[in-house]
Amino acid sequence: MSSWSLAWRNLVRQKRRTLLMGSVVAFGFAAFALAGGFIAQSFEGLKEGTIRSIGHLQIVDRRAVTRSEESTLEFGLPNAGRARSIAAGDPAVAAVLPRIEFVGLATNGAKSVPYLGLGVDPQPEATATLARELVVGGRYLSSADGEEVVLGTGLASALGVKTGDRITLMATTRDGSLNAVDGVVSGLVDVRIKELNDRYLAAGIGLVSRLLETSETVSKLVVFLRKGSDENRVAKRLEQSLTAAGFPIAIRHWEELAVFYSQVKLLYIGIFGFVGAVLVVIVILSAAIVMTMAVTERTREIGTLRAIGTRPAGILKMFLAEGAVLALAGCLAGALVALVVRAILNASGIILPPPPGATHGMPINVKFYPLAYVAGISAMVGTMLVASWFPARRASRISIVEALTHV
Amino acid sequence: MQSTNRTPLLSARSVSKSYRLGEAIVPAIRDVTLEIGPEEFIAIQGPSGSGKTTLLNLLGLLDMPDAGEVRVEGQDSARLSENAKSDLRRDRFGFVFQTFNLIPVLSAEENVAYPVGLAGKGPAEWRARALELLSAVGLAEKAGVRPDLLSGGQRQRVAIARALANRPAVVFADEPTANLDSKTADEILDLMRKMGEEREVSFVFATHDPRVVARARRVVSLQDGRIESDTRVMTPTPSR
Repeated sequence: MSSWSLAWRNLVRQKRRTLLMGSVVAFGFAAFALAGGFIAQSFEGLKEGTIRSIGHLQIVDRRAVTRSEESTLEFGLPNAGRARSIAAGDPAVAAVLPRIEFVGLATNGAKSVPYLGLGVDPQPEATATLARELVVGGRYLSSADGEEVVLGTGLASALGVKTGDRITLMATTRDGSLNAVDGVVSGLVDVRIKELNDRYLAAGIGLVSRLLETSETVSKLVVFLRKGSDENRVAKRLEQSLTAAGFPIAIRHWEELAVFYSQVKLLYIGIFGFVGAVLVVIVILSAAIVMTMAVTERTREIGTLRAIGTRPAGILKMFLAEGAVLALAGCLAGALVALVVRAILNASGIILPPPPGATHGMPINVKFYPLAYVAGISAMVGTMLVASWFPARRASRISIVEALTHV
Repeated sequence: MQSTNRTPLLSARSVSKSYRLGEAIVPAIRDVTLEIGPEEFIAIQGPSGSGKTTLLNLLGLLDMPDAGEVRVEGQDSARLSENAKSDLRRDRFGFVFQTFNLIPVLSAEENVAYPVGLAGKGPAEWRARALELLSAVGLAEKAGVRPDLLSGGQRQRVAIARALANRPAVVFADEPTANLDSKTADEILDLMRKMGEEREVSFVFATHDPRVVARARRVVSLQDGRIESDTRVMTPTPSR
């Protein structure tokens, strides 16, 4: 007669108590599995959105890593076309997007509003990034050299302009003088972060180069990799090939640039970690009470088992096995609950509130995340073993004579 | 006290045991010396509180004396680890209790087989052994029945079969007839004596049931924790 079989029978013997404790474990497990799936889905969505915005890798001038520019394109990459060709030659690279980042004033003739400008190559930008999907009015940029500009909805509102209106862009050139070019608003975009919507302006890299009086110099090259590529290996290869070609560059990974992603991730981990800890404490306390009751009720039985030759470790094992069997049965029930609840939630179309700093909520989507199920099982089995340990140890140390006379 | 000529299976030498009852220390056994040999059928009798069960617990290694020593086949029990004592109880002793003390979630067969499994034997061996013993106590047809569906007498038969599962040298029985009606008690006692004789097992009873005393071949009388008399009976009441 194995400890497992005996454990199972004792659990079946106490149906009501087992059902109650099993429900606590099942609820705990389902919470783990669902929260894990939700977090995984959130992280995955956030990661994908972040990468589609800032790329997997960014090629910048080495000085730009540790220092801030004091003038426009002070640490720009010269001969960007050649560097772009070299980078695009790597078999793992899907796209290389040149970007010029600058600041300036946009005016409608009557009112001037500061903006955060982005010079882009529209065609690859529209293909590789979310740029086109962010357009909420008009259309995205169509050429690198045209006069088209797209504005964040907040900036357009501040300027009082709509698609088709003309505006003037002013900025400081590389040598410090003030320059201006005219542009036509081709579209309005919602970049989903309110503060950025109020300042966002994008234009073709040709128009921006004319404004900044520069040529072939960009702030960075944004690199998108093919699916399944090893970021670290590609980064190493690009650094070697570009350095060998005379470019004093540094490669930055998306994770070190995605401050928002890291902050949201930390926030989620903190919140769900706390909730998970509360769950574990609830399960531990419930299980400890249940196991203590089981030991008390079966004291005479423990005495009998010890009298007929069961070692103290055998008693300990018997109660730990009960905890583990209860945990596994509870997890099985919890997994079924989690799968059903997941299906209901995903079909519900409930829109979650926007994450910190964002303007749009997302429909709830709980992923089936096997690691969360494995973590849930580990947490519940571990918790039940911890909760069973002290009552089980007490049971194994009971005086046989006292146990046999227990009423 | 009379000493036996045979090699003692068990010996208690100057054994004392006290219990704390609130602030008071109550002596249960005082300076008891006793030897138990093979194939004995001993009744330890005495009034309530005379120390019968305490002495049985000490001899069965369920408890340890405050003073004196208990030896099992020459081994000083004080030198044995908790595991070693468990193993000795499993392999050399059997226990029959007043309230039967069967494991409620196990069938009759599994209750009998449990100590065999504890000794590391495989399922085939423990099943065969359990069925053989259940047949011997007349309960083969109840092998798959749980204890709560058995009568008191049947439960005690299962308990006897369990006590004999690992072919012990000694079976300790604490008031085994106290919860049985007169007829069943007679049957159980006769069964125990028969099993003891057939299987060369010593039976040690703690009892104040005259039917047990009448069947005993040796009667140890306790009074206030001391042995008052230790008498060998030449012609005990024969088995039915």
